Amino acid sequence: MVATRNTMMLALEAELVLQPSPLTLTISVPALPRFNERRQATRSSRRFLMVRLQLDPFLNELTSMFEHTTEKGSVWVTLKHSSDKSKVQRNKMTTAGKELEYKCLVRATDGKKNISTLVGTKDHQRFQASYATILKARMTSLKKREKKDKRKAADANKKQEVSKKRSTPAKP
Amino acid sequence: MVYIISWDDFVERSVQLFRSNPEKTRYVMKYRHSEGKLVLKVTDDKECLKFKTDQAQDAKKMEKLNNIFFTLMARGPEVDITEVTGKEPTAQPAKRGRGRKQ
Repeated sequence: MVATRNTMMLALEAELVLQPSPLTLTISVPALPRFNERRQATRSSRRFLMVRLQLDPFLNELTSMFEHTTEKGSVWVTLKHSSDKSKVQRNKMTTAGKELEYKCLVRATDGKKNISTLVGTKDHQRFQASYATILKARMTSLKKREKKDKRKAADANKKQEVSKKRSTPAKP
Repeated sequence: MVYIISWDDFVERSVQLFRSNPEKTRYVMKYRHSEGKLVLKVTDDKECLKFKTDQAQDAKKMEKLNNIFFTLMARGPEVDITEVTGKEPTAQPAKRGRGRKQ
């Protein structure tokens, strides 16, 4: 995944520079932009951009993702227990005796856009409630419970069979 | 991929998996409106548990599982979740951190 991204970036950002002498052709490739830098966010590289949002904008974006994927497409939501620090930082903090603070990292994507947010201990109840509301409102294409009618019919049949057996007991 | 048939089994095993490896375990949900399909996955990149459904009643069950995971992941894996539906019990272990009270 990383290899293709890098080569794609190279392809997008390589510039052909014509020197005064027509025989020399210089291709200058600027340093690969780091993952976090958004200055060269072209349409294709936007797919690899993870946008970190605050709680409410995240919920709004999530809602719009659901809206856009009604006809086709999927919405993925990932939950993870995270300290939001790299391994190096974590090791440094633990060796320095500092406590690591963990939060819940929530990521969402519709295949095109990536968004994420961190839910801390204080906000998780509120976020949980809003998130549940969104899902309840949006997950409407799942099947309703129709088996209940079939089950009732099957139970009714069974009861009839049992009562028939009782009325005609087998004689040795 | 291991698709689990029983919902309760899925819940129990995924909580167990998270508690055994809180750093790596993640809970993924995929919803396709066009097909009316919902797939849940819990994995620590070694073991993978999945559950798929097209039933609306499972969405309600998933809501409870979401609550469980939010609580576990926001507060910490030691949190007692037996009362998640009625919100947290007071018997929480001291948080490793600043020990703030809610």
